[in-house]
Amino acid sequence: MNAPTNGNGRIEVMNVTKKFRDTTAVANLSLNIDHGSYCCLLGPSGCGKTTILRMIAGHESPSSGDVRIGGQSVVGLDPVQRGTAMMFQSYALFPHRSVIENVGFALKMRGASKDERNGKARELLQKVHMEKFANRLPAELSGGQQQRVALARALITNPRVLLLDEPLSALDEYLRLRMRGELRRVQKELGITFIHVTHTQLEAIAVADVVVVMTQGRIEQAATARDIYTAPRSAYVARFIGGQNVLTGVVEGVAGGLATVRNAEGARAQFPVDKANPAKGASLFAAIRRDRIHLTRNSTYRNGDELNAAVGIVHAIENQGTYVKVTLDLTTEEEFVAYMPDGEYFRDPIDIGDRVVARWDAQNLHLLEDASGGQQFAAADKDVALM
Amino acid sequence: MAMHDSGKRPWTFWFFAAFFVLFVIFLYGPMFVVYLLSFQGEGGGLTFPMNGVSTHWFGELVNPESRSGDIASSFQRSLGLGAMVAAITVFLSVAAGLGFRRRFLGSGVLFYIAIASLIMPGLFVGLGVNVFFSVLGWEPDWTTSGLGSQLTWTLPFGLLIMFAVLGRFNRSYEEAATDLGATPWQRLREVTLPILLPGIIGVALFGFTLSYDEFPRTVLTSGTENTLPITIWAMTTNVTSPALYALGTVTTLVSFAVVGTALGSIALISRRRRGGDST
Repeated sequence: MNAPTNGNGRIEVMNVTKKFRDTTAVANLSLNIDHGSYCCLLGPSGCGKTTILRMIAGHESPSSGDVRIGGQSVVGLDPVQRGTAMMFQSYALFPHRSVIENVGFALKMRGASKDERNGKARELLQKVHMEKFANRLPAELSGGQQQRVALARALITNPRVLLLDEPLSALDEYLRLRMRGELRRVQKELGITFIHVTHTQLEAIAVADVVVVMTQGRIEQAATARDIYTAPRSAYVARFIGGQNVLTGVVEGVAGGLATVRNAEGARAQFPVDKANPAKGASLFAAIRRDRIHLTRNSTYRNGDELNAAVGIVHAIENQGTYVKVTLDLTTEEEFVAYMPDGEYFRDPIDIGDRVVARWDAQNLHLLEDASGGQQFAAADKDVALM
Repeated sequence: MAMHDSGKRPWTFWFFAAFFVLFVIFLYGPMFVVYLLSFQGEGGGLTFPMNGVSTHWFGELVNPESRSGDIASSFQRSLGLGAMVAAITVFLSVAAGLGFRRRFLGSGVLFYIAIASLIMPGLFVGLGVNVFFSVLGWEPDWTTSGLGSQLTWTLPFGLLIMFAVLGRFNRSYEEAATDLGATPWQRLREVTLPILLPGIIGVALFGFTLSYDEFPRTVLTSGTENTLPITIWAMTTNVTSPALYALGTVTTLVSFAVVGTALGSIALISRRRRGGDST
């Protein structure tokens, strides 16, 4: 798809607040998205991600603040003047129009002749491999086919920004995986800005250059997909993205860039604090990837015997094919999970109810920004009580 | 009452089946008697036995010299009035239905006022309109006072149907149209109205059929020229021939034709959209 696009698709959301009657959907939020990048807005339902998308699209206007596209304020402009196009959650294909009429709709609104719009529509349908279905009605297509048509319809105006509202949620698992790859490919080919709203963590990590994790109308972290996964900023992000255990405890002492931290169960660990010098008694939070945990059966170990270890009872075991997911009960309230490589696990399988020690390397801990507490993350449903 | 699966029905099945048959006879029996008697022979009367079979009484309906009055004109008037009522009801109900999607000051009160006319006794609505016209010195006529009185009856129905139709309407169709550059008018014409079309046909159908057999609101407001129900009412008191029955048969056929056309087109539209054929 080498059609010329209409200029710069850099998005700047500047101090935007959006209120609906007495609820605040978006609270003084700022966000920059570079031209030509694939950005995912990720968060639980009601976090304001769709509202942001709709304000960029022009289907909602901010209560205060500014939205700029390519450096120009677009507040008050309609979607066409913005150079954006939106793909709706259930696609919103017009049920009374054939596929080709749906795709050519935008051109018809601009007064293009029938030949012109059918020609252009056919060209786009070819690019999404739907030319054979040009004369069908939307109801005669499968979910994946409808999605392709919706994509073609949105792209016919050569937008500089494509906004996708939960584009994959109506599809089954198999199609979801296929179509997300397809979306990424199309975005690369077009080189325009994609903003994709989703509540599925792996979907965001899989497709996006930039992932914006949101909660309660504000941004929790905006970073590359890799950073979001390997270096979450806060306990909320670490928990929401998954794949990480969140540890917390009280500082006992600091030496050589490592704080020794003790949790409520007496387990002790070293948190890398770099040059910071947290006071004794301060609470710290850290995350560690679940595949960086080693488990050993042990019936005599007691918490505090070693640094960077904790004892627990095996609570659940799930074979995931290439690895085995072992959930431990550390008597703290937070879930603690180890991903064991399948080879290692099956050499000497542990069982539910076994008493095991979890050990890790202090270098693999990643300090989180949460200050003393964690309670400020109201969206995190569990209290933080783990080491 | 399919009976392919051999015998073993409980007795309650047969009991309720018999009950249902009685109910159907109760519903359609009287009308069936009318249809049958409308084919009464030329020398026959208003009651059984049938004195031969003929279509004589149907001919009598269009015979201007017959005693049965000017049925053909009343029929035409009723069709015309029904069409006008349907058109106005559709226009106002669709517009009001779309407008009511947005809350505005007094929208609740306005809605209840609009619906309240459903519970007004029809005869008194007609009486009121009649008095109102004479106070203003206007001549009642089926195209003015008659039309207005009937609209007090059809508009609330139309509005309620539109509420139900719009309740199921997904607004993202409209947003998609806007997103693709449609002006508000284009959006209405190209997207909203076509998607709502089956419901709109339903409103038109209701408007027409309610008007076509409306009596209480019309009897005092139709002026010097009568609509069909009023003519039929008059005939029952002074016409003593099976022409009355023939008229009953013809008006029923007209009703069936209207309802059939409307439901048929709704079914056709929704089958096309659900993917019945691939044109």
